[in-house]
Amino acid sequence: MQTQQERKLIVTENLTKSVKTADGFLQILSNINLQVEYGETIAVTGESGSGKSTLISLLAGLDTPTAGTITVDGFTLTRMDEDGRATLRNRLIGFVFQSFQLLQGLTALENVMLPLELRGDKHAKDTAVAFLDRVGLSGRLKHTPRQLSGGEQQRVALARAFATKPALLFADEPTGNLDSNTGAKVIDLLFELNKENNTTLILVTHDQALAHRCGRTIKLTAGRMS
Amino acid sequence: MKHLGLALRFLWRDSRAGELTILFLALLIAVTCSTAITVFSDRLERTMTGQAAEFLAADMVITTHAGLPELWLQKAAGLSLKQARTAEFSSVLMEHDELLLAGVKAVSANYPLRGFLKTTASDYAAEAVEHNGPAPGFAWVEKRVLSALKLKLGDTVTVGEKQLVINKIVTYEPDKQGDFYSFSPRLMMNQQDLKATGVIQPGSHVHYFYQFSGEQASLSAFKQWVKPQLNLAQRIMDIHEDRPEVGSALNRAERYLGLSTIVVVIMAGVAIAMATRRYTERHLDATAILRCLGSKQTGVLWLFVSQFIILGLITGILGCLLGWFVQEQLFTLLRNLLPQTISEPGFLATMLGLITGMTVLAGFALPPLLQLKKVSPARVLRRDLAPLPANGWLVYGIAISLVVALIWRYTEDIKLTLIVFTTGFLLLVALGIPVYCVIAIARRFLHRFELTWRFGLQGLVRNSHVTLSQLLAFTITLSAMALSITVRNELIVNWQEQLPEYAPNYFALNIFPAQLPELQSDLKTQGINGSRFYPIVRGRLTEINRMPVQKIVTKDSQGEGATHRELSLTWTENLPADNKMVAGAWWVSNQKGLVSVEQKLADSLQIKLGDRLDFIVGGQPLTATVGSIRSLKWETMRPNFYMIFSPGTLDAFPGTYLTSFYLPENHKTYLNQLVKKYPAMTVLDVDAILKQFKTIVRQLTAAIDYVLYFALIAGFTVLFSAIYSTLDRRIYETALLRAFGAQRNLLSAMHVVEFCMLGLVSGILAVILTESLLYLLYIKVLVIEYRPAWHLWYEIPVSAALTVGAAGFLSVRRFVNTPPLRVLRDF
Repeated sequence: MQTQQERKLIVTENLTKSVKTADGFLQILSNINLQVEYGETIAVTGESGSGKSTLISLLAGLDTPTAGTITVDGFTLTRMDEDGRATLRNRLIGFVFQSFQLLQGLTALENVMLPLELRGDKHAKDTAVAFLDRVGLSGRLKHTPRQLSGGEQQRVALARAFATKPALLFADEPTGNLDSNTGAKVIDLLFELNKENNTTLILVTHDQALAHRCGRTIKLTAGRMS
Repeated sequence: MKHLGLALRFLWRDSRAGELTILFLALLIAVTCSTAITVFSDRLERTMTGQAAEFLAADMVITTHAGLPELWLQKAAGLSLKQARTAEFSSVLMEHDELLLAGVKAVSANYPLRGFLKTTASDYAAEAVEHNGPAPGFAWVEKRVLSALKLKLGDTVTVGEKQLVINKIVTYEPDKQGDFYSFSPRLMMNQQDLKATGVIQPGSHVHYFYQFSGEQASLSAFKQWVKPQLNLAQRIMDIHEDRPEVGSALNRAERYLGLSTIVVVIMAGVAIAMATRRYTERHLDATAILRCLGSKQTGVLWLFVSQFIILGLITGILGCLLGWFVQEQLFTLLRNLLPQTISEPGFLATMLGLITGMTVLAGFALPPLLQLKKVSPARVLRRDLAPLPANGWLVYGIAISLVVALIWRYTEDIKLTLIVFTTGFLLLVALGIPVYCVIAIARRFLHRFELTWRFGLQGLVRNSHVTLSQLLAFTITLSAMALSITVRNELIVNWQEQLPEYAPNYFALNIFPAQLPELQSDLKTQGINGSRFYPIVRGRLTEINRMPVQKIVTKDSQGEGATHRELSLTWTENLPADNKMVAGAWWVSNQKGLVSVEQKLADSLQIKLGDRLDFIVGGQPLTATVGSIRSLKWETMRPNFYMIFSPGTLDAFPGTYLTSFYLPENHKTYLNQLVKKYPAMTVLDVDAILKQFKTIVRQLTAAIDYVLYFALIAGFTVLFSAIYSTLDRRIYETALLRAFGAQRNLLSAMHVVEFCMLGLVSGILAVILTESLLYLLYIKVLVIEYRPAWHLWYEIPVSAALTVGAAGFLSVRRFVNTPPLRVLRDF
């Protein structure tokens, strides 16, 4: 039996994604072979349309590839059905998005509690309160997303992402909707939390400075790794 | 149940944010309407059937020429049915050297089981309501008996060998029936005195009426049990079969209530579907996030479905209470029109509103909700990812089966259900295709329009399937509303036509030919206009194509009733005004030996054109050939005939004449003069029956109008929910155009163009749908004459364009006036 050190967190083989368009098939990703170690921090860079978002949506099991295989923590995503992938996401994966993706109808506290409640955590509220306190929002528990600034919303998203203590965190341009000052603070917080929780981080960004804070950078050009 | 807390939280937040308002309103209206209509119809129907039963003085009557077996009466008693009995026979009364052939009616203790009698103690005393007949030893008589026999109240009258004291004048009895010709002045006595009269001997010509009333289930059980045991001389009567003038009005009203319920339920369903569509669209992102955070497909679906169930239950209970309140209010409003005691509604009727509401919610909300199950979690990264369409047949199958089941449940009439549904469905498909083509063509020519029109039409043309679904929603709604209004107007006009203000309230019978010219001139002098004078010959139909009629008739049928007694036969040169030819042709002059038969009787006796009919008239044979078959309106209070012969056919038989006329209340004293001058003539007062019928029609009209208001409220809810369901797109585009510098006037004009066009086109489609459904409904279901409603062709499109235009403009107006950034930030 392999130990965690011997196993890779993510392994992809010939990962390919194409979509049908009016002009025929469009190749978005071609033969991506990627290995990610536990605890690694990786930046995915590339121009718009290079396939960055498609890559993380495949790695997170949000979408299915046209060809190739993906293994996450020993589970072959490409052999799992939709509900199997959902369970895996809930157990292993956290997300931070450019557009925050908080549920508008819920308060900050309820948003953080959500993934915990989905996995049936009985201490969801206590954990959520602790994480919101950690990101400096203990005074904003009952505020809805509309009542929070962009930076505060992203901090709620960070609390939600780390509250489940995921092995793997995907961050899709987490500062894209924030001004540079607020963005820098959010990124500092993201790396702090990442370190505290020993989470593997895959971060999509255009920002070279940000990419340099990661241990490794993968550059995508027209759907291929370079 | 893991997500129940989350579902409640979502529900609470959504309702506070106004996301559920339209859905809540649509559902509330559906449940309120169905509860109110179901409970109201249930109570009204029970009350009206009860009241209509007064025409028979019971719920069910068995007529016979001899007594009924004791076992039958025991069976009825065992089923807890109340019983009464009347015996009717003719008897000659002689007092003060005057002779009078009276119609004697001996009544038992419980008579009448339904309705009441009315009596007066003198000419001037007010009428009193009586719930029992005369006590033993007493007789109640019609006033004509007193004048004809020179008697007064308190005098005695001898019936056979029994002397009775006359203590009251009877002015109204609920079950006065038989054909008008055989009417004689009434003497009512107690059944206990019958034996002492010695009139009833073996072989006497007596009609016994065994009356029963009680629970519907017991009545049905008794009817079913007794029916196979009836002999040829015994017959069952109930309100729908034996008082057609009341039965058909009641039937049509019941059908209208059924139709309106379908209309309201379908419209509420459409509103729910449109509101849920918007709800679904606004929850795509939340669903994607939930899926991304690890919620399973069924988990997500259950999360939303459970919210709808909770919402449905809360709204359903609220709607039930509201519906209950509404129908109570209605009964309070109509208290002067309706009987004192209104029947209580059944538990099922009350619950049916809630059940209907939940069913409509499931049928119409589930299809759009199912889309949420198909939302890709990748939508968190790419917002443009639309959910995969749910399986078409599954989605529409649920709604279709529910609509059919609901319609059937309400109408209990498969014919009405299939007609409304199939025609509506096929027409919608047939109308949808050309509209889709027009949209496709319009897209090519859009660039030729000026800016306002181009922007206005662009909204409709670009998103053709959304436009189509909105058009169909408007079409169904407008059509449903138009249908409710038109059928209501037509029914009421039809009833009023049957009972014009001066409908004949008297029938004069037994007019001898020698008296005819003088009587005609007397009536003319008094300014009394009556129907024509019909010659009457009494005869019995014996054979059809040389086959005895007894071998042809089926038990309990109309034919059986008509062959067991003498019919009033008449002849006339011209077809009576209310009659309509169904088959054959009306005779031209000098066509002796032809007969025209009433359609229902012809159907019952399987009489066809060219058949030979044999009659016995006063012991003499009469033969005629069927020359035509007619339909007629029994409900008009004019002389109507099963058999009309061609001129000359009846010349060999002595006859009398019959007419009907209208006499105003203040002219009634003239009747005494007429009766004195023509003592042999019988005058029959049908005023009370007319008044009773008019009251029923007034009640029905009020009920129908009330139900119509529901249909209209439901209709407007759909219009608004349909507009709201696509409001987000319009708000977004408006804000964008504002951001690019579009003037408020341009935006307002653009919205007016878009919504008015939407209204206009759906108005035109609605007219086509309405007229087609009306045609089928009138001909096949309501059985009234179809008249194309040409006014609808401009009224519906114009009013639809104005209503939808105004509603649309008003809903978007505030966003035209809001700074665009505030709007865009919310998207």
